[in-house]
Amino acid sequence: MTEATVASASPDPPFELPEELAIDTDVARRVIEQFIRGQLRQAGFERLVLGLSGGIDSALVAYLAAEAIGADRLLCVLMPYRTSSDASRADAEDVVRRLGAASEIVDITPMADAFFATNADASPVRRGNVMARIRMTVLYDRSVTWGGLVVGTGNKTESLIGYTTLFGDSACAFNPIGDLYKSQVRQVAAAMGVPDAILRKAPSADLWPGQTDESEADFSYPVLDRLLYWRVDRRRTDEEMTALGFDPALVARIDRLIATSEFKRQVPPIAKLGPRTAGVDYLYPRRRPGSARR
Amino acid sequence: MIALAQIAPRLGLLQENLERHHALIDEARSKGAGLVVFPELGLTGYLLQDLAAEVAMRLDDPRLAGLAAATKDLSAVVSFVEESADHRLFIAAALLEDGRIRHVHRKLFLPTYGLFDERRFFAAGDLLRATPSRLGIGVGIAVCEDFWHLTVPQLLALDGAQILINVSSSPGRDLAATNEVGLGTATSWRTLMRTYAQLTTSLVVFCNRVGVDESISFWGGSEVIAPSGHALFSAPFFEEGLFTVDVPLADLRRERLALPLLRDERPELEVRELTRIVAERAGLAPDTTADELAQAGLDVAPGEPLRDPIGFREDPKTPAKIRR
Repeated sequence: MTEATVASASPDPPFELPEELAIDTDVARRVIEQFIRGQLRQAGFERLVLGLSGGIDSALVAYLAAEAIGADRLLCVLMPYRTSSDASRADAEDVVRRLGAASEIVDITPMADAFFATNADASPVRRGNVMARIRMTVLYDRSVTWGGLVVGTGNKTESLIGYTTLFGDSACAFNPIGDLYKSQVRQVAAAMGVPDAILRKAPSADLWPGQTDESEADFSYPVLDRLLYWRVDRRRTDEEMTALGFDPALVARIDRLIATSEFKRQVPPIAKLGPRTAGVDYLYPRRRPGSARR
Repeated sequence: MIALAQIAPRLGLLQENLERHHALIDEARSKGAGLVVFPELGLTGYLLQDLAAEVAMRLDDPRLAGLAAATKDLSAVVSFVEESADHRLFIAAALLEDGRIRHVHRKLFLPTYGLFDERRFFAAGDLLRATPSRLGIGVGIAVCEDFWHLTVPQLLALDGAQILINVSSSPGRDLAATNEVGLGTATSWRTLMRTYAQLTTSLVVFCNRVGVDESISFWGGSEVIAPSGHALFSAPFFEEGLFTVDVPLADLRRERLALPLLRDERPELEVRELTRIVAERAGLAPDTTADELAQAGLDVAPGEPLRDPIGFREDPKTPAKIRR
């Protein structure tokens, strides 16, 4: 335990928390909850809708949203596919029960299988993307019926390495945890009392049975989070990364993932033609006087 | 008594923010405050971008006059976007007293790095002046980033300010468990305030906003620091409120007599050395303190000597030296 501390002094800590990533969870909660209320107020909304998978990211956002605005104003949508694990669904239902939030189960199997029926050759990546975009479609539909903004649940780790589906799981009105690494998500989730089963299980996109993020991409989150922190937040050079103990090959691989996924983190460029162009020299806050729906 | 209006301005909603200012000025007066301080761009919100021109006010704007009129027997520091007669936009902080605008400070240092983009939308002020006030002591006003430059508090103190007022829209960031208060920004600011109070033996008043503009959350934590460097009051983080603080002005005299740092300042020394440094950095005088091989205007020589300079020669002697 020289380069990392554990989450608590308990003999069986639920996860590993690298020392440099530890944050003051009270401050994080206050900032995030103020952010959630601010976003809603500026948009003229009072409710939120989110996709609850049974994983830690969406569970944490549900807890944060419930604390920020009250569980009665939160709709949790569970969107299993026929291959999704029963444990995921049970964990998601546990979150709903503990928070007392409104919830709905929308089985995406008929929608996804209708597409796959005429695209039977779709690779696992394509299938995963289609499912992520169907879930996005359902959430934005419920945004209308529930009258709430879609709140994002992606974390900083997956965003930086591009482990997201563009216009799929990354689609949202705003994201309260997008600047927290996976290890920090776990730290805040533990502080908020997210169930132990969710804290302890291996993160998974749950696109096929037995899939886990760490086996699919061949990394461990504590190592990846530390690497990203020193490389991105603390701007360490190749030599400095090596001196910190990181494998140069892994650093190079992650650098490539970051660079190749830059497009996923930005709005698409518009060809500049007129005098004022959105995002170039027409620069307004997303929420400005007159932009709230009421 | 000083009142700190740690508010969450609504972005771009000038009229709504104006009404809030009126209400809080009344409340401060009823609590017995002699001075009420509002945060940077409290009348407009911070992250304005192209909205800046739409909420800008000239100093003769009736809305500003209305606010000034509300300061009978009271001093107030308010902040807004000022449009000058030549149509530059400034981040301004005005001291309003007894119905009129007593003084206007235009933000001198516009951060344009990291999450900041102020120089794109605003002009930088060129004047730094302390001002006398109905409070009976000189007032020095600065806006946020102005206090990240050592000269500002010192010049204000040398110019006669005994109370240094910084109005801010400081975004909270750099969360870490190792920081004094869990927030890197707050730790830095708290260090600055205490240091400036002690080094200028002045009262330091810091009014920072709360609330959210887009991605950024402002952390509040407004403070009043005694000339000894000790906090007289620290407002909570992230919470709106009008906080009143009793300030013993007699401490100013005591501190300045006991610790006559300001008496012992050497402004003529600073002027002399700054004049030299400015001339050297402009390449107008031989740089007596630079590395031997440094180019004109630069103090530090490159580790490896430059090869033939590309495109220009600044001094006939230098290229020969550089070539070894």
